[in-house]
Parts: sequence; C-alpha cells; structure tokens
Amino acid sequence: MSEIKLLSSDQATITVEKSVAERSILIKNMLEDVGEVTEAIPIPNVNENVLKKVIEWCEHHKGDPPAQADDDSDSRKKSSDIDEWDQKFMQVDQEMLFEIILAANYLDIKPLLDVGCKTVANMIKGKSPEEIRKTFNIQNDFTPDEEEQIRRENEWAEESVPRSQPLDIDEAC
Amino acid sequence: MSNPDDSYSSIAALTDFRNMTVSPTEKLVSLRKPHPRQRPQQPLSPVNKLPPELLIAIFSKITSLVVLKTCMLVSRQWADCSVELLWHRPHFGEFAKYEAMVAAIQDENAFYRYSQLIKRLNLTPISATANDGSMKPLGLCTKLERLTLTNCVNLTDSPLMEILASNPRIQALDMSQLYNISDLSINVVAQNCPRLQGLNVAGCKRVTDASMVPLSRNCKFLRRLKLNDCNLLTNSTVISLAENCPQLLEVDLHKCHNITDESVLHMFNQLRQLRELHLAYCDLLTDDAFLKLPNRTYELLRILDLTGCRLLTDQSVNKIVNIAPRLRNLILAKCENITDRAVTHSIVKLGKNLHYLHLGHCQHLTDRAVQALVRCCNRIRYIDLACCTLLTDQAVCHLAGLPKLRRIGLVKCHQITDFAIQTLVRRTNDAPCPLERVHLSYCTNLTVNGIHDLIKSCERLTHLSLTGVDVFYSRKDFTQFCRPPPEEFNEHQREVFCVFSGSGVDKLRRYLNAQQAATSAATDTAGGNHLAYYNDEDDDTQEMEEDGEAGTDGVED
Repeated sequence: MSEIKLLSSDQATITVEKSVAERSILIKNMLEDVGEVTEAIPIPNVNENVLKKVIEWCEHHKGDPPAQADDDSDSRKKSSDIDEWDQKFMQVDQEMLFEIILAANYLDIKPLLDVGCKTVANMIKGKSPEEIRKTFNIQNDFTPDEEEQIRRENEWAEESVPRSQPLDIDEAC
Repeated sequence: MSNPDDSYSSIAALTDFRNMTVSPTEKLVSLRKPHPRQRPQQPLSPVNKLPPELLIAIFSKITSLVVLKTCMLVSRQWADCSVELLWHRPHFGEFAKYEAMVAAIQDENAFYRYSQLIKRLNLTPISATANDGSMKPLGLCTKLERLTLTNCVNLTDSPLMEILASNPRIQALDMSQLYNISDLSINVVAQNCPRLQGLNVAGCKRVTDASMVPLSRNCKFLRRLKLNDCNLLTNSTVISLAENCPQLLEVDLHKCHNITDESVLHMFNQLRQLRELHLAYCDLLTDDAFLKLPNRTYELLRILDLTGCRLLTDQSVNKIVNIAPRLRNLILAKCENITDRAVTHSIVKLGKNLHYLHLGHCQHLTDRAVQALVRCCNRIRYIDLACCTLLTDQAVCHLAGLPKLRRIGLVKCHQITDFAIQTLVRRTNDAPCPLERVHLSYCTNLTVNGIHDLIKSCERLTHLSLTGVDVFYSRKDFTQFCRPPPEEFNEHQREVFCVFSGSGVDKLRRYLNAQQAATSAATDTAGGNHLAYYNDEDDDTQEMEEDGEAGTDGVED
C-alpha cells in the first residue's frame, strides 16, 4: 500500500495512505500531474491539527463511493441528515469547525465541506438573529433603521410548503 | 471561546480564497444601495474567517425561508450572503405576502434590488386573487428563469407581455388555463425568450398558428410543450415545431382537433428524441398517420396517448408497437375499432415494457385478448377495461396473474361477478394483493360478499368505486363512508354515487369486518339486480381522469 507525505503550514510532516489522501481532489489532481513523489507535499493553508483532523475524516470515509460531480440539488434538500459518526466528528470548538470547512474547501473534499456546512446550518436553525450573533460572536453592524427596513422588506417570507403539488413544467423529469 | 488572535495563521488562506473568484458579495454590494456609514471593523471571530462563498455554501444548506430571513438580520455580511438564496424562489401561501414582496421590489430605496434576484416564481397558490394590477410590478424582474402562472385566470396580455419582454432568460413558462391571453403574449415569448425549454399553454384557447409558428422558429431548445385544448392550432404549428425544435421530448396536443395525419408524420419523421406524445381527441387522425411512417424504431418513446382517435384500427396499433417497442404507457381508450387482434398480435409484443394500458370503451375486446395480454405483459401495473362489455369473469381471473397490478378499471363490465373479484384478489401463499385502486362502478352483479373479500385481501386499497351498484349505494350504513358526490351532479347521479377513498376504505373495511363477526348469516342481496344502467358519463370520465393522474405518478423514474 503506497503512502505519501504531507507538509502542514506549520511544517509538520504527516504520512498518509495515498488512497486516503486522494479523497482530496486537490491532492489527487496534484499526484496525477507529478506522478511519483518522495518528498512531502506542502499544504500551505492547513496547519497540523486541522490536517490531522481532516485525514481522520478521510480515513473513515475512504470506502465511500466517489462524490457525484453535480450533487448539489440532492445535498441541499436536507441539512439534518448527517450520519452519526460525522455528527460526533463535528463536535469540536468553533475555531476547529470553521478551520475544517476552510480546509475541506481548499483541499476540495466536497462531502466533508457538505458535512461542515450542514453542521453550521443546524447551529443557525431555530435561533433569533441576536442568538445567532451571540453564538458566533458576530457584531450587529446594522443601524436600527436598517434592521427594521430589512425586516420589513423580507417580511413576506414564510415556511415554504413541500413542493409536491405545483410543479414547474420541467421538474417532473 | 477562542482568542481572535489565534486565527491570524489563516489570514493568508482567507485572502487566497477571496482572490480565487470574483466574490459573490461584490456583485451583491452593487445591488445594495450606497451605504453612508463607515463599516465597523468586525472582530475576527472564527465565523468571520469564512469567505463569502463559504458562508453562502452554509446558507445554501438551509431550506427554510424563515431561517434565511433570520440570517439576513444578523449582519451586513450575512445579509449579503443570504439575500440571493432567500429571493431565488419566493413562495407565498397568501396574497398579502405576495403584496408585501411586490412592495419590496417596487421600493426604489430598498436595501437590495430584489427584483434582480428572483429566478423562479410560482404564483399558482395565489392564482385566484392574482390579476393584471397585482402582476404588473413583476415586469421589474429581469432574471426570471421559471415562471409558473397556472390558473391565474384573471391575467390578460397587458401585464404578461411586459413581464415576458423583460425576462429573456425564461426557460420554463407555465401559462396553463390563462384563457384570456392571446397571440400577443406568445409572440413576445417568441421574440424574446430564445432559451425556452418548457412551455405549457394548455387551455389558452385563443392561441393560434400566428404566434406558435414564430415561437417554434425562435425557441429552438424547446423540450416540453403542452398545447392541450388550443384547438385553433393547425398542422402549420406542429409541422413547424417538428422542423425547428429537434429536442422536443414531450408534446401534448390533447383536443387539438384540427391536427391531421400530416402532423403526426412530420413529428415522427423529425423528432427522434420523442419520449411522450399525447394525441388524445385528435379525432381526424387515421391509420395513415402511422402506416405511412418508415419502419424505423423509436426506442425512446415511452408514452403514447391516442384516446378518442376513433378512426384508428388494429393496423395502427400494429405499426405503433413495431416502431415503438419500448412503450410503457399506451392509451387507446375510446378507439372503438380496436379488436382482439390489436392485443393478441400487437400489444403483447411490448412484453415486460408495458406498464400502463388503457383500453376503456374498446367494446369489441373479449376474454381472449385479456388472456393473451396477461401471458405476455406481466409487468402491467395499471389497466383499464371500462365498458368492454363482452368481458366475463374469465378475463378478470386472467388479470389475477398480474403480480404488479395496482390499479384496475372495470367500470360497466356488467357481466362480472363475485367469483371474478374473489379470484382476482387471491394470491399464492396468502400474499397480500397489491391492488390500490379498483373501479367497479355499474358492475351490477357484484354483492357485498365479493366486495368484502376484495377489501379484506387488499390492504393497500385506497380507492374503490361502486357507483351504480345498488347493493352498495342503496345502503346508508355503507354510504356513510363514501366521499361526497361532485357538486355538479344531479339528484339521480348523487343517489347512485358510491366511491370510497382514503380513510373511507378503511372505515368500510372495519365496518364490514364487524358486521361479519356480529352475524355469520349470509347477507341477503336478493332482488336488486335489475336496475337499468344509468349512462353516467360524468362519473365515468371523472374517474378516468382522476385515475389518469394517479396512474401517471411515478411513471417516470
């Protein structure tokens, strides 16, 4: 079983099974371009802690079928359907959570990016704007007038009904 | 909580991401009105490390518009990243909400130019209230890709032309039942919407060749087209469509009475992708429409509806089966010339491909046809043999051999008896009978025993019609579980109406079970079998239409 080495942003070298590392499309494409490599591949945007965490995820999911190129419609539908292992995996502090999302995006690991995004989406659900700001430590940079304006202009939005009955003409196929 | 300073290690990453593509927020900020105040410096908490495209990726996992609305109120950046998702496909259950949305798109001082964010709009839920005045502001939208106006019957050309003129990106347009609109609107589509792929103008009876011919020339990407009831259209439209729109997959010409053989020949000769063709009540069609076609096959054709094409004979059916060997749905209802030969020599060749067969009112058919059919086409899920009055218990006993049969229509097959029903529902090894919808109206020889067996054996039954079966409709204790008759029915129609659906079936089942338990004495049905048939076309067609809908569900995978 062939192994490769990755070099984190903080100069740590991590050895990993090639097939695991290839869950990252970035690394996979890189390996395809350069062929055999002996020296460590620099991953300048990801530090050791995060890289180890990402590799842990890739190890667990190495048997998964390859991601579909155009899976968006499907993954958008339900944000709550995160499998149990992934849910546990994502129980980390916010710092790490967002680092994982950034790393998954940089390394091009779409299923991991999806899980990360869904996890954050679930943290947003059911909260008021103020609770959201508190949860994520976000400063409210609206004036009270602006906030009221946004509220008014978007007041129409209500819970959408399931889209079973009225079908757009070409959605049936 | 983490110290903001820890995160500096990733700032390079952050800027990298930002430079990778044109940031979506830059685009949005241009949609936002100028901001007079200096933007305060946000503390670098973990979430602020995310570039806009990742914040958008997170918001795109949120399907609830209410949650998206909350996101918009969190901060400027959050608003910038969620506004497009919130406005992509607005939805309203009530007219007041629509008015509130329209107010926002009309407001020149609004926080965003919302009109530029709407891509899909479906006004069907407010169709009854929508009128010209309330629709006019939609002309401000210029990025619409899908517009669904089904049943907005009050709408006329005047606002619609404006809306269509400002939306050249429209790909799917549903104007069904907008019977006030004319060629004027369709001409705007023709001139202005070259990307159109789906068009539904069912019921727009004023539409003529004068707009549809130009549309067919300019909308070359059309794939799905419904022209039901546009009975002013002639061969000119259909021929032009065939010549100019090679990607057409589905064409519905239901009740386009002027269509002749020439149209069908052109479509088959030029539309090689055709998957669904509806020609119901194109009653001028003759066998020539098919017999004159060359002998090449249409492997993609799955659905062919020839309801009421009364001139067609067995010869057409034979040709159709030969050129379209993978037909899944074949509808020959009211093709009165069809005989056993069409089934025994032709339709049987469809074999396992055939899932849905409608032979209602093909009155020449006999038990022999059904026997041959069941032997060869054992994947049939839906069969309708209404008014095939020559059929006897034997035919129904053969149908018991269809393991996947979910829906059966035997309305007015008056010869059948309890024996047929009991055989139909009996499965080997006591397996449950898969039937879900059963139509036995005017099968006047049936008794309570037969129906009780049916209802006991078919756990999945959701529809049972027994209109005109006097041992049912005359029993108040049974009809209490019926659904109410349609409002337009007259007194006599109401009297004989007897349809159980949904929970009504379960209630009837429980009631019959309880009755049977209470008294093992046979139910006496003597004397009631001589009632003259009431020729209840309304009930009949209504049932067929309704089942037509139910039957097409899940037809496509």
